Amino acid sequence: MQNNHHKEHLYKILVIGDLGVGKTSIIKRYVHHNFSPNYRATIGVDFALKVLNWDQETVRLQLWDIAGQERFGNMTRVYYREAMGAFIVFDVTRPASFEAVTKWKEDLDSKLTLANGKHVATVLLANKCDQGRDVLTNNGIKMEQFCQENGFVGWYETSAKENINIDEAANCLVKHIMASENDMLQSEVPDTVTPQLEKDKGGTCSSCFRSQ
Amino acid sequence: SFGSMFPVITTPEATHRGQVRLGRARQVKGGEGSSMPQLISPLSIFSLRSLFSRRVKDSRPVEQRDPGWKLFGKIQPREGSIKDPKRIQKTPGNLYNRAGPGNPTSPRQSVRKNLDFEPLSTTALILEDRPANLPAKPAEEAQKHRQQYEEMVAQAKKRELKDAQKRKKQLEDRCKLEESIGTAAQTWNQEILPNWSTMCTSRRVRDLWWQGIPPSVRGKVWSLAVGNELNITHELYNICLARAKEKWNTTPAPATEGEAEDAGSSDRESSLELIKLDISRTFPQLCIFQQGGPYHDVLHSILGAYTCYRPDVGYVQGMSFIAAVLILNLDTADAFIAFANLLNKPCQMAFFRVDHSLMLTYFAAFEVFFEENLPKLFAHFKKNNLTPDIYLIDWIFTLYSKSLPLDLACRVWDVFCRDGEEFLFRTALGLLRLYQDVLTCMDFIHMAQFLTRLPDLIPAEQLFQHIASIHMTSRNRKWAQVLQALQKDQERGSPVLKR
Repeated sequence: MQNNHHKEHLYKILVIGDLGVGKTSIIKRYVHHNFSPNYRATIGVDFALKVLNWDQETVRLQLWDIAGQERFGNMTRVYYREAMGAFIVFDVTRPASFEAVTKWKEDLDSKLTLANGKHVATVLLANKCDQGRDVLTNNGIKMEQFCQENGFVGWYETSAKENINIDEAANCLVKHIMASENDMLQSEVPDTVTPQLEKDKGGTCSSCFRSQ
Repeated sequence: SFGSMFPVITTPEATHRGQVRLGRARQVKGGEGSSMPQLISPLSIFSLRSLFSRRVKDSRPVEQRDPGWKLFGKIQPREGSIKDPKRIQKTPGNLYNRAGPGNPTSPRQSVRKNLDFEPLSTTALILEDRPANLPAKPAEEAQKHRQQYEEMVAQAKKRELKDAQKRKKQLEDRCKLEESIGTAAQTWNQEILPNWSTMCTSRRVRDLWWQGIPPSVRGKVWSLAVGNELNITHELYNICLARAKEKWNTTPAPATEGEAEDAGSSDRESSLELIKLDISRTFPQLCIFQQGGPYHDVLHSILGAYTCYRPDVGYVQGMSFIAAVLILNLDTADAFIAFANLLNKPCQMAFFRVDHSLMLTYFAAFEVFFEENLPKLFAHFKKNNLTPDIYLIDWIFTLYSKSLPLDLACRVWDVFCRDGEEFLFRTALGLLRLYQDVLTCMDFIHMAQFLTRLPDLIPAEQLFQHIASIHMTSRNRKWAQVLQALQKDQERGSPVLKR
C-alpha cells in the first residue's frame, strides 16, 4: 500500500457543470485530441480514460462526464462516490452557467469528502473562451478571489475548440490530487508518527472511504 | 533501391485515412479519400426522411448521384452501372445507409460492383525502370524485385476480389431485404391496418411485427400501438404550441438574473434556452434538426408545446431524441400526440420526472432478470461495481435512439410499441448477451465506456436473436409482477433498494 504511489495511480475525476457548457468537448479534446461542434447531448454519464506519464509514474484518469441538467441531480449523485478530483465547467458566454458554479461546488462538497475530511481538489474551467470573455470581465468578480472563497484549487480559461489550457488545467488538477493523496497516505502509515501534520484528522481512514 | 522501384503502393482504404502518401494517383483530383464526407451529403439528407416516410421521392443510391468518385484514371467508375443497369435500379441505396462516420457512403461500392475489373490497388503500383542517371541494377536484384512486384500484385488482386465478392453479396442481401420490405408493406397496408383492432394481437401479425415494421407504415403502426389515452387532438396541440410561442416571445432571449430567479427552477429548466441547446445536439450527424435544418422548427415546436402541455414535467434531456425519432416517422401533430402518450407511460413518467426511488425499482427489477438470464456476466458486473444506472439511464431515457444505429433503434421501438416497457429492459439484456464475451474480459472503465458508446455497427439480426433468447420470467413471475413486488418491498422500506 505504501509503495503504491511509486507505480500506478488511478484517479476518478468528475466533470460537472450546467448543460451545454462543453464538458464532453473538453474531455474529447483532452483524451482524443479533437473537437467537433456536433457532440450529442450526454444523458446520464459518459466515460473516458486518459493515461499520463508523470515523473516516471503512470497516472490513469477515469473521467466521468456527467449530464448537466439540474433535474438529474438526485440521480447522478451516486456517480460522485470515490472521486478524487473534479472539474466544474461553465460557459463564458452564458452568465447563468457561471451562477450555477457555486451550486455545483456546494453540491459536490456536500456529497463527497476525502478520507481526511477534506474536499476533493476542484479546478474551475471557464470554457469557450474563444467566444468572448464577457462573464469574466463584466461581472466585477475577481476570479482568484472567487476561487479562494469557493475552495477551488485553480481556474483556467479554456477552449476545447482552440485547445487552450486543457492540458494545463488537467495537470494542475492531477498535481493537487497527488498532493492530497500523499497527505492521506502519510497519515495512513501506522508506524510513522507525524503528529504535527495531522491536526484535524478525524476517525476516518482511506479504507473507510473506499467502502463508503 | 527498393523505393525507387515502387514509387506508390497504396490502397484506397489507406488513402482515406491519409496514412499512405499518394504518388502518381494524387494527380486525380476530386476523388481523393480526404474529401470523403464525414457527414451525410446534402442530397441524401433530404432523402433521409424517405428512410422513414411514405413518400419515397428519390430512390437512387447516393453514390450514383455523387459525381466523380474517381480514384484512379484507369478504372471506369460507372462500369458496374453500364453492365448491369437493372441491378443498380434496385439498389436500395440510402435506405440502409446509416448516416455518420460509422458507415459513410462508400464510393467504392459503385465502382466495384462486378468482379471482372482489375484490382484497384495494383493500378497505382508501377514497376518503373531505374532512372538513367543511376547505375544499373544487377540482374539478380532486378529479377528479385520483379518477382516481389508480381507477388504483391497477385496478393492485392486476391484481396480485391474477395472484397468485391463480399460487396456483391451485401448488395444481393440488400435487394432481397428491399423486396421483402416491399411485400411486408403491402401486407401491413392492405390486410393489417384496415383490420387493426381484430388483427393486431394475432400470432401472424405479432411475428411480422417482430421482424420490423416497414418504414412506410411504421409511423402509423406506432401511433396505433401507442394509442391516445390522453385524447389529444390536433387543436390541443396547436393551442399548446401557440402558448409556447407566446412564452418564448415574452421572454427575452438571454434571461436576466432577476427573471431567472423569479421563475423558479422548474420553469427555468423548461426554458427555451435548454431546449435550444439540446436541439442542436440531437442527431447532429443527420444535420436536419440543427439551426437552419428542415426539421429544426418542428422539433422545437413539439418540445415547446409539451412543456406547456405538461409544465409539471417540463423539458428533460433525452426528450429531444424521442421527439426527433417520431418526427422522422409522423407528421408534426401526430408526432406530438404519440410523444405525449409515450411519455405518459409509467416507465417513461418515472424516468422523465426523475422519480429516483421508482427508477431504482426499475433497475432492481432489471437486475433480477439480468441475474436469471446471464448469471456469469451479472457476477462480473457485481464484482466490478458496474451498476445498471451507468448504462441504463441513457438507453431508457432515449429509448435507444442515441445508443443504437437509427434503423436498429426503430426496430427496437417497433417491439417496444408492441410489448411495452418490458421490452426496453429485454433489449438491454439482449445487448449484454450479444456482447457478453467481450464484456467479461473488461474492467470497470472499459465496460462503462463500451456500454455508453456501443459499436457503430451492430448486427441487427443477431441482436434480435439474442433479445429473443432472453426469458422475461423469473420464478414464474413476469416482468410486471417482479416490478410490482419490488415496489411493495420498497414501500415497506426494504433495505435491498437502498444505496
